[in-house]
Amino acid sequence: MLIKIAFRNILRNRRRSAITLLVIVFGAVGLILFGGYKAHTFYSLRESTIRTRLGHLQIFAKGYSTSESQKPMAYALDDVASLRRQVERDPRVKMTAAEVTLMGLVSNGEKSETFIGTAVEPEKDRVMKSQRMLSGSELSNNEPDSAILGAGLAKSMHVKAGDYVTLMTTTVTGSLNAMDVRVAGIFTIGVKEFDDRAIKMPIAGAQMLLQTKKVEKLLVFLNNTDDTAAVRESLSRSLHGVEFKDWSELATFYHQVVALYNGIFGFLGLIVFAIVIFSVANTIMMSVFERTREIGTLMAIGTTRARLWRMFLAEGFSIGLIGCVLGLASGVALAILINHGNVMLPPPPGYTRGYPLEIMLSASVLVPAAVIAIVTATLSSIAPAFRASRLKIVDALGHI
Amino acid sequence: MTALVKLTDVSKTYRLGDVRVRALGGIDLTIDKGDFIALAGPSGSGKTTLLNLIGCIDKPDSGRIVIDSVDVTAVPLHRLASLRRDTLGFIFQTFNLIPVLTAYENVEYPLLLSGVPRRERSERVHRWLAQVGLADQEKQRPDQLSGGQRQRVAIARAMVVNPKLVLADEPTANLDSDTAGHILDLLAELNTKTGVTFVFSTHDASVIERAERVVRLRDGHITNIEVTRERVA
Repeated sequence: MLIKIAFRNILRNRRRSAITLLVIVFGAVGLILFGGYKAHTFYSLRESTIRTRLGHLQIFAKGYSTSESQKPMAYALDDVASLRRQVERDPRVKMTAAEVTLMGLVSNGEKSETFIGTAVEPEKDRVMKSQRMLSGSELSNNEPDSAILGAGLAKSMHVKAGDYVTLMTTTVTGSLNAMDVRVAGIFTIGVKEFDDRAIKMPIAGAQMLLQTKKVEKLLVFLNNTDDTAAVRESLSRSLHGVEFKDWSELATFYHQVVALYNGIFGFLGLIVFAIVIFSVANTIMMSVFERTREIGTLMAIGTTRARLWRMFLAEGFSIGLIGCVLGLASGVALAILINHGNVMLPPPPGYTRGYPLEIMLSASVLVPAAVIAIVTATLSSIAPAFRASRLKIVDALGHI
Repeated sequence: MTALVKLTDVSKTYRLGDVRVRALGGIDLTIDKGDFIALAGPSGSGKTTLLNLIGCIDKPDSGRIVIDSVDVTAVPLHRLASLRRDTLGFIFQTFNLIPVLTAYENVEYPLLLSGVPRRERSERVHRWLAQVGLADQEKQRPDQLSGGQRQRVAIARAMVVNPKLVLADEPTANLDSDTAGHILDLLAELNTKTGVTFVFSTHDASVIERAERVVRLRDGHITNIEVTRERVA
């Protein structure tokens, strides 16, 4: 009966209820679109960070994490082949990739620039699709004395695919070493600061330059990101003399973006929350004023304060429920429309490429939007319910 | 005769701005079971205030009110909801039906409050709608009914809980004389048939003459209690 009365009272003043519902629907649609955009952004950023750069796990020689800044290769992995065999035994592991980072100078004979280099296994690097080639070709196992240059660095050095440059760095023993490499291609990863300094080369070439047979780390890629903690736990039990870092410990940028977006969307959520609260509370409060005599009658014939509370909470809940259903339907429809519209967003700060606007429609987006719509509308009816339950029966019956 | 309601030295004062208005002063009144009483007097004489105090929807400033052996004077009004629900029935001048409910649902509502099972509710609601002559109007909402029909629904709502006392505040004031006559006939018939006590306020002479006892009020005091006709056994 409570819900029946609530629904009928909502239909009593249709125009006012329609406006209130519109506010809830807008709120729910906003939460779905913003939430879906945020979820898709987080997911895409996380997966691209993992799949193109970090791997789900990185394995180092023990002691690396405390001393890497002083001597990068002093705590390197000796027998990466054996380590790789053990790791790849786990069916949750998709692949492993060895990697060495190095820094030094790159010279074209006329000009020198500092570079940050990443030495990779070329066939694995192609799977990772870390970069987009602008010209030339990807790295090859058959040509260890080759490199690909970031677009900004190549431009600064006035080199193109097929040219030669000299790389200089300190070896693992601390002496200087230099090596001529052919520029196989020019690439970009979309981050200007990185493109201005980046060089990639085959790991064999880097080992020649650094005069070592070791590798710095082994990246582990999983089939499913959700397995990261379990695989780390399992590997740390079976492997000895190594230490691990997972993607979350390494993905500083990802966490900065998450914190920033959560802050922005949290603020937007608060605004939506406040608008819905005030709108629904206003509607129900108006209803209480209009129905004062009716409330007096209900109390006179034996309705308790608790029941009056339930009656007005049911009204708020019912408005929230209707708004939630309409909001979910509108939000999902709009999200599908946007996802099929191929809308491109401008490049984020520090990036050179834009990206498509995608709204992720998942339970983690829809359920909070639905719950917030219903809970907010129900909470909005607390003040009117309180007022109604505190009315003096005689005054209420005499209300005109 | 057994006393159903006993008021002893009951007074009530209202505050209108800075002025205190004495609505009732030193009222002593006993209402017996089965009474059919009119509270008569001009506007401002204290009829409605007295009805509100007996109906437990307002509190006296002093004095004592006992209803069905329960001293209600010291109990907060919101704790008297169950007494109002199970012992009292209310009929208002402006009918005061719930506009979003049908005639059936309006009559059913007090039974829902009392937790009466669905089957029994249905039986009682149908019986009382038939009793007041609205068996065919059960699906109508108040705005689809005439004034007389609305008051009949209100009477059915008051009677459906099998109350011991029905309080009616100017029950015929908003009705034409023919309809008012029918409503009074109905109330008298219910009083006779069910033995339920009726107390109604009025200043209409044609209504007063239907009462068994008339309590005349002026300026918040009882000036006279007269027996106008003997109760039909």
